[in-house]
Formats: sequence, structure tokens, C-alpha cells
Amino acid sequence: MEPTDLELVERVRGGDDDAFRLLVERHSRSLYRTAFRITSNAADADDVVQETLLRAYRALGTYDGRASFTTWAHRIAVNCSLDLLDSRKRRDAKIEATDDLSDAVAHDASPERVVLGTQMQRAIASALATMSGNERTAFVLRHFEGMPLEEIGSILGIKTNATKNTIFRAVTKLRERLQPFTGSAI
Amino acid sequence: MNHLTQEDIVLSYYGERFAHLDTCGECRAELARIAAILDRIEAPEVPEPAADYESHVWQRLSWRLRGEKKRARRMEWMRWGAVAAVIVIAFIAGLLWNRRAQQTPVMTPIARGLAPQAEPAANTPQQRDRILLVVVSDHFDESERILVELTNLKPQEGTDITPERHRAEALLASNRLYRRTAEDRGQETVATLLDDLEPLLMQIAHAPSRLSADEVRDIQKRVEAKGLVLKLRVVRANVRATAAATNQQPNV
Repeated sequence: MEPTDLELVERVRGGDDDAFRLLVERHSRSLYRTAFRITSNAADADDVVQETLLRAYRALGTYDGRASFTTWAHRIAVNCSLDLLDSRKRRDAKIEATDDLSDAVAHDASPERVVLGTQMQRAIASALATMSGNERTAFVLRHFEGMPLEEIGSILGIKTNATKNTIFRAVTKLRERLQPFTGSAI
Repeated sequence: MNHLTQEDIVLSYYGERFAHLDTCGECRAELARIAAILDRIEAPEVPEPAADYESHVWQRLSWRLRGEKKRARRMEWMRWGAVAAVIVIAFIAGLLWNRRAQQTPVMTPIARGLAPQAEPAANTPQQRDRILLVVVSDHFDESERILVELTNLKPQEGTDITPERHRAEALLASNRLYRRTAEDRGQETVATLLDDLEPLLMQIAHAPSRLSADEVRDIQKRVEAKGLVLKLRVVRANVRATAAATNQQPNV
């Protein structure tokens, strides 16, 4: 029978590095997916996975098993991704926020194609880039991963009400960016 | 009738239950408008990592874990060394202070006014910035040389990178120090590049002496993916220009 995560953690604490290898093999792919959704960059997601697992290894002594290992590791991954976004923010802010989306709509004759096409994806990427790290993470975890609000709050270290407000701010930014495509009033 | 707030409507889209929606057509219409937008936002496609992704992750990580253990042992020694050094310094300082207190006459304020202390050479912000830029420029130079050497390697079994490893190890310690200093001094571009460089230096420093062809390719792929050689060249050129310009300004 396959050992549980908790059993593996106990073995790592006892000095068994092979047990940590099993944890890495079990979780690195899903950590990569979460990191990619937040960072939108494969090389960065790869770095986040490395950093996450290293931090997890260092912090295994403090892991008390109250949350599942998956949740705990994802919490570290989100924090690593946010750290990375912070260091990238200076560069990204200049590039992403200046796209003129109204032009993109005006030049395409078929609104349906625009909505479903690459311009829409660009608008979403652009909206994600204007969000703060917390807004982006809360939105990604709720909208794409379907994670419960309480869990998102615990990952971000904020209360559930603050999490709701963070998601609302993220959605407002998305609606503003997507307005040229939907024509809806904000 | 009190309608739902926009925040409530967004939350109801994500599953929160509001009884008001059962009776209010206006709020339901607003929910439908928001849903029409949010329904279209699909998760961006995550590029599926290679089939052997997990073993790659472990391979890279195990180098770092080895380094981590070595560092932990070194830190333990350093901690004891530091304690011993503090005791010795405190003892010597105590002796010197005692001797000075017995020998030095009290200096009057007038005498102090006649002999003002010279400002140390690196005491102005400009001087400190210039020193940082000069040392960082050399650091970038050496890092670039290592990365170029590694990217020019022909991937083959048992490639010996011992010299590059040692150089990367030496650079890694200073990289962290320079990054923190650059952040403190508001040198954002320099700090960001140092931040990019760090994981790669760590990977090289903690690599085994002899690499497999795959391991060589992995390092080369990471250098290329981050465009580090080009970034190092550009930032180093800017840093040198800024350092030269700072050097020509009079001290404030």
C-alpha cells in the first residue's frame, strides 16, 4: 500500500530523503500548474516549484498535519509565486497595462470572433497583470481552481470577508478591461 | 427594496446563496450580465510539463538539498566561530578601552572644533551607489562568463564543471548581499537581475562535479529561457555608464 503524505513527512523528519523524493514526485506537477496560473510563465513556474519544495523541506519541522500536505504545499507555492510577482511587478507594470483594447475591437468586423479570439485572451491577461498579487491569486484560485473562500483566505493569510472583497476587486478590474468586448456597463 | 450590492452579485456567481435573488428580477438580470462575462474567462492553458518532469524536479532539487545540508553544517561551525570571535573582540576591546581611558586627556569642544574628523571616503550616498555599481558590474561580468561557458558546452556524459561550480558558489554568496544592498539603495533593475540570477547560480553551485548530457542541456535551457546572458550584458553596460557618470559628480 502506498504510504500517505503524513507517513512520508514523518520519514523525512527521520532523515529519509527518499521519502521526500516521493512527496516531490507526487506533488510537483500540481504545484507547477498552480504556479503557472499565477505567474503565467513556464520558467517562472518551474522556479516556483523548486523554491516551494525547498521551503517545504526546510519547514517540515513546523508542519503539524492540521491541513493536508497538498494544501500546505500549495500555500507555500502561492507565497513563492507572490514573492516572484512582486519582484517582477516593476517590469510587468510597464508592459502590460498599456494595451489599447478599444482599437482591437474597432478593427475587427466580427464581434463574436473578437470575443472568442486572441484579443479576448490578451484582455484577460492584461487585466490579470493590473491586479495585485493577492487579487490575482484569489481570482485564479476561486475561478480556475474552484477553491473554497476559507481556504483561499488561509493561503493568503486574510479573513474570509477580506477574501470576498479581494475577489470582487479582481472581478471589477476584469470587467473594466473586458468592457470593449461585452459592451456592458460597469 | 434593497438590491444586492455588486460584491454580493459577484459572490453569488461563485456560489454564495442570497434569498433576495429568488424574488428580484433586476438583481437576477445583473447576475446574468456578470455571468456572461465570467463564463467566458476560461483557465489559461497550462503547458503540460514533460513526462519525466517529476524526476527533473527531483534531480535539480537534490543538488540544492545537498547544498542545504552542507550549508547547515557550515552555519553551525560559523555560529560557534562567531560566538568565539565576539568573546575575543569584546575582551580585546575592553582591554583597549581601559588603556585609552587611562592615557587620553579629555578633549575640549574647542580642540574638537579645530580638528574636525575627515569624512570617510564612502560616506555619501553617491559614493556608496558608485561602489555598489562598480562591484556589481564585476559580478555581472564574472556571472556572464560562467553562463557563456556553460551554454557553449557540448552536452555529453560526464561533463566536468568543477571550476564553474566553485566560481558559482563564490558568486552566490555575494549575489545575495548585492541584491539586498541594491534593493535598499533603490537600484531596481540591478536588484531584479540579481534576483533572476540567483536560482541559476544556486543550481550550478550545487550541481555535481560531473554532469550528464541531460543535466548540461537542462542548465543551458534555463539560461536561454531567461535570456540571462543578454540581460547581463545590457544591465552591465548601463551600470558601468551610471558608475562612470556618478564618479564625475562632485561629492555632496
